Amino acid sequence: MNNSRRHFLAHGAAGLSLLGGFSSFARAGLDKAQILVIGGGFGGATAAKYLRLFSNNTANVILIEPNASFLSCPMSNFVVAGMRSMADITSPYDSLTKHHGIKLIRDSVSAIDPDKKTVKLSSGSVIGYDKVVLSPGISLMTNSIEGLAKANQAGVTLQAWKAGPETLMLYKQLAAMHDGGVFAISIPEAPYRCPPGPYERASLVANYLKQHKPKSKVLILDANQDITSKGALFKKAWSEQYSGLIEYLPSHNVTGVDPKTKTLRFEVQDDVRADVLNVLPAMSAGEIAIKTGLANANGRWVNVDFLNFEATATRDIHVLGDAIQTAPLMPKSGHMANQHAKVAAAAIIAQLNDWPINPAPVVNNTCYSFVSEQAAVHIASVHQYDAQAKTFKSVPGAGGLSSEPSNTEASYAWGWAHNIWADTLA
Amino acid sequence: MKSLAYSVLLFASLSSSCWAQISTADQLDQQGLAATCANCHGTNGKGLPNASIPLISQLSSEELLAQLLAYKSGNRAGTLMPQLTKGYTDAQLESIANQLGQKP
Ligand SMILES: Cc1cc2nc3c(=O)[nH]c(=O)nc-3n(C[C@H](O)[C@H](O)[C@H](O)COP(=O)(O)OP(=O)(O)OC[C@H]3O[C@@H](n4cnc5c(N)ncnc54)[C@H](O)[C@@H]3O)c2cc1C
Repeated sequence: MNNSRRHFLAHGAAGLSLLGGFSSFARAGLDKAQILVIGGGFGGATAAKYLRLFSNNTANVILIEPNASFLSCPMSNFVVAGMRSMADITSPYDSLTKHHGIKLIRDSVSAIDPDKKTVKLSSGSVIGYDKVVLSPGISLMTNSIEGLAKANQAGVTLQAWKAGPETLMLYKQLAAMHDGGVFAISIPEAPYRCPPGPYERASLVANYLKQHKPKSKVLILDANQDITSKGALFKKAWSEQYSGLIEYLPSHNVTGVDPKTKTLRFEVQDDVRADVLNVLPAMSAGEIAIKTGLANANGRWVNVDFLNFEATATRDIHVLGDAIQTAPLMPKSGHMANQHAKVAAAAIIAQLNDWPINPAPVVNNTCYSFVSEQAAVHIASVHQYDAQAKTFKSVPGAGGLSSEPSNTEASYAWGWAHNIWADTLA
Repeated sequence: MKSLAYSVLLFASLSSSCWAQISTADQLDQQGLAATCANCHGTNGKGLPNASIPLISQLSSEELLAQLLAYKSGNRAGTLMPQLTKGYTDAQLESIANQLGQKP
């Protein structure tokens, strides 16, 4: 098939035929190129917006996302602990269309064909592309724990690690638990989405229990040998504020679940029974990345060229966020996904303009965690691209942790949330 | 507690008009570098006025650079900024200040 026909594949749903780009060169210029952004989370939505900003609003950008609204995992632990509502972490996507001229398709991508340069939607339509930006987040490897897939389906165990209906369901289970009950959260071996997230959840749930069910307990079952992020700060807060309410058990790797008795089995230790089971299994790149053959790091994560976030497995598919094999000390965070998106968007625009790609990009991370409803701590880092090692390296002496939990940092944390939501979506 | 949708709308009405045109690779690189601040300080430095993070877009480029360098040297205290500025070269901080600050 020649190049000008290659993009004329859109068919199926009415209107989609308008979406085919008509590039007649091996690499279409900026005005002709069709850029499909798959996934409207922190990485994808930011990429779509900045592709428009960096191209003076000329790039042809289509965002494909099945969810009607953006749901934020950051601050979702407040919903789990009954301190905020789902509306507080939800936003519509339409400002991306209204303010930035991005076309939105509410659907999910069922297949990507890197040879034909087409994507197939669940509705059956096929769309041609010159560039894909893929930010599909994670998939949860429920099969890595015996019985978990069924237990999750039945709602006996929940993950609530993708913000959505389970976030509220987990709160409802917590609210229904009797005083004296046990809320157990299990953490897989790193790397997983948001290293400090489970410890923040444990803290806010303990905050809830302290007020409403003080005889109860949070049990943290961590497959890792120690807390993976902000360890000293969490431990200090737990001993000072939640003494007797939080029990932390390291090196506890869950291998099985019995949904009837609500019991967890481990590699080594005795079984544990709990009333509410928040089981987080091992994670991998979002399914579509794996299905497309992009996950060439242990079959789980996508290796990318860090100058432009192009997948090393194939050309013209740029992968962002939690789905990638990160650079050393680079966390899987929403803040970082947003930063990846800006490097990738700039590189794509440079490439389509026939300009050199920035040889020295920089990204930073700041991640706040609440240790109570009123107090938060942070971790920060800056990562400069190292041309020799072809990866981002965190700058020695830069970054670091809070000295202690504070109310000031809690108000900055909410400020961060509102500003990053706006930077990603508005 | 204001909903996310509310603050996003408010932000958009403030931010959409003032993005600088990019017509060279250098300008693109500089905008890309300045955009690393936007997660916390808002797109193009225009954060939400009610978001508790200090607003920087009213500052001149000179004032902004002076503050960034003061954080980096330890002369100015802060929670995150002393830690973050140490990760950027002085030239990068200057470029950021030029992008996000108001020129005289
Ligand atoms: C409890 C919790 C707290 C957290 N707190 C913080 C925090 O304080 N700070 C921070 O920086 N990070 C935090 N994170 C991490 C943050 O949520 C993730 O790192 C971030 O969401 C990753 O962005 P992403 O774009 O890779 O994936 P996501 O944001 O998950 O976006 C993926 C999107 O892709 C879509 N998608 C998937 N497959 C397809 C397909 N086939 N077709 C079309 N669309 C598809 C999904 O619907 C989704 O919208 C937290 C996470 C959790 C769980």
